[in-house]
Amino acid sequence: MKKAGILGNLNGVVFIVVLLVIFSLEIFGKVIEQGVGHYLKWENHTRPQLGRVWERDREKIVAQKKIESILSNLNTQEQSAESIQSFKELFEKLKPSDPQMVSRKKFLQLYFDFPEQLSYKMVSPYELLEIDSNRDWQRVLLTQLGEWVTISFINNQNFPIREVFLSAEGMGENPLNRDIFKGTLEEAGFSQSSILSIADFMRVMKTLDPDAQSDLFPNPHWFFSKNYHVTRVGVKEIENSDEYPPPVRMGVEYQSDFYTEVLILPVPMDISDNLLSQVEIPVYEEPTEGVPPFGDYQGDLN
Amino acid sequence: MFTLLMAFFLLGFGLYIDLKDDLPQLPDSLEKINLSLPTEIYSSQGNVIKVLGQRHPVTLSEISPRFTEAMIATEDSRFYSHSGVDHIGLTRAILRNIRNMRISQGGSTITQQLSKNLFFSFERRWVRKIKELMVALQIEATFSKEEILEAYCNQVYFGSGAYGVEDASLVYFGKRAKDLTLLQAAMLAGLPNSPNSANPFNNFERAMKRTRTVLNRMVSSNFIGSLQMEEALETDLELVPHRIQSNPNQYFIQHVIFNLEKEYGKEFVHFGGLKIFTTIDTSLQKFAQQAVNTHMKSLDKRMGSREDEETLQAAVVALENKTGAVRVLLGGRDYSKSQFNRAVSNNRMAGSSFKPIVYLTAMENLGISPATVVKDEPVILEISPGETWEPKNFNDKYFGNLILKQALMKSLNVVSAKLVSDLTPERVIKTARQMGITSPLGENLSLALGATGVSPLEMAGAYSVIANLGILNEPYLIDRIEDFRGNTLYEHFYFGVQRFSQKSIYPLLDMMRGVVDEGTGRVVRRMGFQHPAGGKTGTTNDYKDAWFDGFTKDLSASVWVGYDSNISMVDRNGRGLTGGGASAPIWAYFMKKALSGKSLVNFPVPEGIRFVEVDSETGYIANISTEKTMEVAVKNDVVLTLPPSTDSIQGYFPSDEPDPEMTPSPNTIEENVLPEL
Repeated sequence: MKKAGILGNLNGVVFIVVLLVIFSLEIFGKVIEQGVGHYLKWENHTRPQLGRVWERDREKIVAQKKIESILSNLNTQEQSAESIQSFKELFEKLKPSDPQMVSRKKFLQLYFDFPEQLSYKMVSPYELLEIDSNRDWQRVLLTQLGEWVTISFINNQNFPIREVFLSAEGMGENPLNRDIFKGTLEEAGFSQSSILSIADFMRVMKTLDPDAQSDLFPNPHWFFSKNYHVTRVGVKEIENSDEYPPPVRMGVEYQSDFYTEVLILPVPMDISDNLLSQVEIPVYEEPTEGVPPFGDYQGDLN
Repeated sequence: MFTLLMAFFLLGFGLYIDLKDDLPQLPDSLEKINLSLPTEIYSSQGNVIKVLGQRHPVTLSEISPRFTEAMIATEDSRFYSHSGVDHIGLTRAILRNIRNMRISQGGSTITQQLSKNLFFSFERRWVRKIKELMVALQIEATFSKEEILEAYCNQVYFGSGAYGVEDASLVYFGKRAKDLTLLQAAMLAGLPNSPNSANPFNNFERAMKRTRTVLNRMVSSNFIGSLQMEEALETDLELVPHRIQSNPNQYFIQHVIFNLEKEYGKEFVHFGGLKIFTTIDTSLQKFAQQAVNTHMKSLDKRMGSREDEETLQAAVVALENKTGAVRVLLGGRDYSKSQFNRAVSNNRMAGSSFKPIVYLTAMENLGISPATVVKDEPVILEISPGETWEPKNFNDKYFGNLILKQALMKSLNVVSAKLVSDLTPERVIKTARQMGITSPLGENLSLALGATGVSPLEMAGAYSVIANLGILNEPYLIDRIEDFRGNTLYEHFYFGVQRFSQKSIYPLLDMMRGVVDEGTGRVVRRMGFQHPAGGKTGTTNDYKDAWFDGFTKDLSASVWVGYDSNISMVDRNGRGLTGGGASAPIWAYFMKKALSGKSLVNFPVPEGIRFVEVDSETGYIANISTEKTMEVAVKNDVVLTLPPSTDSIQGYFPSDEPDPEMTPSPNTIEENVLPEL
């Protein structure tokens, strides 16, 4: 009984001593705080990223993703604009909700790459010289609002130096109907009976006055500059057209080093009848008399 | 006892198990918490006008030791001796909280406060306190005391939008944290505990009381002696003027941020590290603020308003006509007192300032011209079968027969109401839309008197269409946005659309010049504004709104004055404030300053317009015997006649008798106006 009492007291003393030791260690050594602190530090990586600091991190990531997405869209637009091969493509991409922007260099490339002088009807090359004279023409913005297409030549402040307004409807008649078809005239829908060799076509050309010649046929410089060799020319009326008389298209077939293509052009209304009447009865015979130099028309060959 | 101890440990362990999934991970470095690229907003002159999310993190060596001492003495005097928990402070707080039966005292150490600021909400809950404590213990085990103190100093909130001691030093004293004096350091150290109530900008006395407390604690913590404290209290605090109060660009900035957040999201704006180039001209904005301050003070005197009463408010917007760039946007008298942006809010009636839209629609659709005679007399208009409306002129005065130009110059309600009645409100709304008004417009006859909510921004935009001779340039506030690498993320393109032909607009422009030169807006001329200008006053029913919208060749501006609670503006003598008396002087003061030193530029006269001197009562071409003449601008194809008694040019013009009613003889137009492109 006494032994049990002593043991009991001893346990109590040991407990108090342990308690005092822990208390002293805590007071002087901050063991509990340090123990908990180090344990939490040890298993820090297993815990979730919660709280304001991490939220701010996430917001930074969201912001950066948004910026990357905007930049990516802008890059795509820029690349898309740079890959445009013709005015036709440029105007086809233009929608009221989707303005098109091209650099000055690209615009000039398309402008002068556009066979024949029809591009000049949109903006004269002399006007371009004037626009360019102040050296602050940077880009060209094309916008469409209802019936109207605006070509804005803008400076580095994005302010239009010059604006040219075109009727979208009117544009359909000329520049937009120019196309390049990969393949032969027959594959482009021209019938055999309305296809002439280039030599035969030149005879027809010579029946036209110089103005009509330049209105009808692209500047030969375009073919030479690209090393294209013109082989044949075809003429056809557009079937299923609402217009009367139906519009007429001319196809100029040429060969490059690798492929055959057809440049399809609208034929001006005032020339079309004359042209059709001559093409519908092809002249297959070899010319028997000397052909006057091109552009030096001296009379009706027929 | 042993059982009690075990129970205590088991309770602690149980708590940890319960909370461990909610405990946040600590970042590798405390420096990381301050790494955020600020978004900078620039004026059109290229100056930074606002920085968002700006932090000025500094190292401890760049902070005045007086400040860290003051901070430690105030917030955590045993900072260097504890491991995250201050036993004495905690015991004291627990006892007090038990006594109060709520968490009234925190007893938090600097480390606990850092833990709370970095991770937790500011809600006072036991569970949150325990989590905060556990994270504080981990912070102590992970970082040095210097790192903890530095992080705390760099992210704690000091009020007035200042986070971190460097930013706070700049905001309150305009100096770096390393240059703080003892008094300044003590004042700043007292702010984290009560950033609003002890804010020297809000309550200087209370701020000084708190500063004295901080200094006392510094004395009791042996950081300074009593003598140093007394000396410090003798020094000048050198408080700088409140930044928000002295920044007149805040309404503009607020609107830019609002628009960007709506378009791209908050994160993009605040954490994108952007450079936002805006259209604001800070010089013009300052002039607008000065104009408002000057005139509103005199209006306050006239109204005899006391401090406890609602103050009159004002809004000003100015646009560059050529581009649509918003150069001025002032949404109220003082942003620090009211952040409600009245310049873009469309909750106020336009009043007579809407009439030019009605007149333009009438001239486009009813075949009338500025020389057309109209009759100004009391009239009853049928709104619907059995329902009528009797519009009344200002002061119930009626002028009988007069030409349309004079009707606009006198702002006659009856004439405008008759025009809308003949036109139908739908046609007027169509014109308003073409002029860029986007607010909902009521399809009723009262549209004639501008009984429709619009914003000053919209009105300035609509008036710029008139100044631009029919070209609408959408008002815009942002020129370009770049990311921190300089990549362009957004750029504005000017895209003017010719909404009306030049010769359709010019007669209206000329009529509005008449308003400024001789009509209800002539106060502008009396104030010495010399530039060619057009405009229109607007006063709504019971003097609730006063407008003046006007333009010069280059700049269009809209001014609104009124009470937010939409009560009448009646002065001590019982007289109401009108657009001409309340708003036009602000417009004139602003325009005079804005165009100071610039040469007078007239409006170009388009082809197809001629000026004719006519009798202002009959509309006939004036001759020597005409008493009241007025010059009008009309399209070339408008037929004007000489008075019947004059036979010198008989047969040159059709000699129809003028109809004194609305029918527009002798002036007729058979033209269908198409946009000129």
